[in-house]
Amino acid sequence: MHPFRLLEPESLPEAIETLGRLDGESRLVAGGTALVAMIRLGLVKPDRLVSLHRVPGLNRIRVDGGSLELGAMATHADIERSRTVRDGWPLLAEAVHRVATPAIRTSGTIGGNLAYAEAASDPAPALLCLNAEARVLGPGGERAVPLARFFRGFYEAALEPGEIVTAVRVPPPPAGARGGYVKFTSRSAEDKPLVGVAALVVLDGAGRCVEARIGLGGSAPTPVRADRAERALRGEALTDAAARAAAEAAAGEADPLSDLMGSADYRREMIRVWARRLLIALRDGTALRDGTR
Amino acid sequence: MSLSFTLNGQPCATQAPDHWTVLDLLRDGLGLMGTKYGCGEGVCGTCTVLADGQPIRACLVLAAHVRGRVLVTVEGLERDGRLDPIQTAFAERGAAQCGYCTPGMMLAAKALLLENPSPSEHEVREALSGNLCRCTGYTKIVEAVLAVAGSK
Ligand code: FES
Ligand code: FES
Repeated sequence: MHPFRLLEPESLPEAIETLGRLDGESRLVAGGTALVAMIRLGLVKPDRLVSLHRVPGLNRIRVDGGSLELGAMATHADIERSRTVRDGWPLLAEAVHRVATPAIRTSGTIGGNLAYAEAASDPAPALLCLNAEARVLGPGGERAVPLARFFRGFYEAALEPGEIVTAVRVPPPPAGARGGYVKFTSRSAEDKPLVGVAALVVLDGAGRCVEARIGLGGSAPTPVRADRAERALRGEALTDAAARAAAEAAAGEADPLSDLMGSADYRREMIRVWARRLLIALRDGTALRDGTR
Repeated sequence: MSLSFTLNGQPCATQAPDHWTVLDLLRDGLGLMGTKYGCGEGVCGTCTVLADGQPIRACLVLAAHVRGRVLVTVEGLERDGRLDPIQTAFAERGAAQCGYCTPGMMLAAKALLLENPSPSEHEVREALSGNLCRCTGYTKIVEAVLAVAGSK
């Protein structure tokens, strides 16, 4: 593996300062599940890595003012096992549980997952549906970036040089929300999704969608919300036809890539199928199993 | 860099290059060859070891990141010369053929049983889902883990 020097700051200010004074190619490392694999494959050759492992408290999971606050270094395993998350933000627990395999989830972190800006992230569509925001710290201070504006492009997060994601804040889901995440893989079940669909709906007594949010993974250069599909649902009764129309809209507004996992057309088709199934499962309160080709 | 941690029940203080992973440290630094090098990029699971009772991919975790933690490798499964029940079950049920996946499989199974002593077959399959075996077809591996769970 390409040799690098490892720097291990022990506080966030020290981490910011360290990132600021490094020249050459340096990278921030959290769990390493993506970055170490990329270094091993020779895709990146950093001179230095700055690890966040020694910064205390960055993996904390807590509720603050009604919102869930996930420290950036909380692992997927920490999050999926957290009672707080499972009880209050079940959609998130469900999506995080689908990331890769158990031994990856114990290392991979939520901050790393988002900063990597993988289009086919499992947690991102769920976090988009939950209106989460990233807390970002840099030389100029702290800022909050709504997740809807956090993904700038293909593997590109809205982070300036020297900035660090320190936490993810997730407001409470609306009262009566039903949420779900479904993942379709085209190679093997532990793969990243060909497409992933998260949805959150609130139905009134007459079965009408008071609220409808749909997040898509693997469906565009970044994780996205399916705005047109959401608009098609709001105020409508969640009938089979309405679910089909919304899924159709989601497939239409998606902008998927073609790659080794599948073509853009195939992805679009799978968005149509899985968005519809997910909406109907949420309406009926039935379980929906992930799909593999 | 210097680092210390607990390895198979013993304190271990050692030196390692900054860029080493846990897999490099175990095999090249400490000469423990039980942890296998398969894909080297997080896909196959044969390098699985336990850190604080949880399974990790030794090929993806930087050595520095296990400082102060409690590591268990396949060499540490037996106690006082007695095999771990998982090892006995694998041997008795023929759950190993070439054996290359076996250390990682047993440690993934160990992590599951530490957290959930009586898992269902579905839970066993899910816990082992990141560990590839090219020989057995998995049936005997799953049977062996369920046998251990059932014998408690
Ligand atoms: S060698 Fe680590 S997962 Fe294959
Ligand atoms: S026994 Fe050969 S790979 Fe599993």
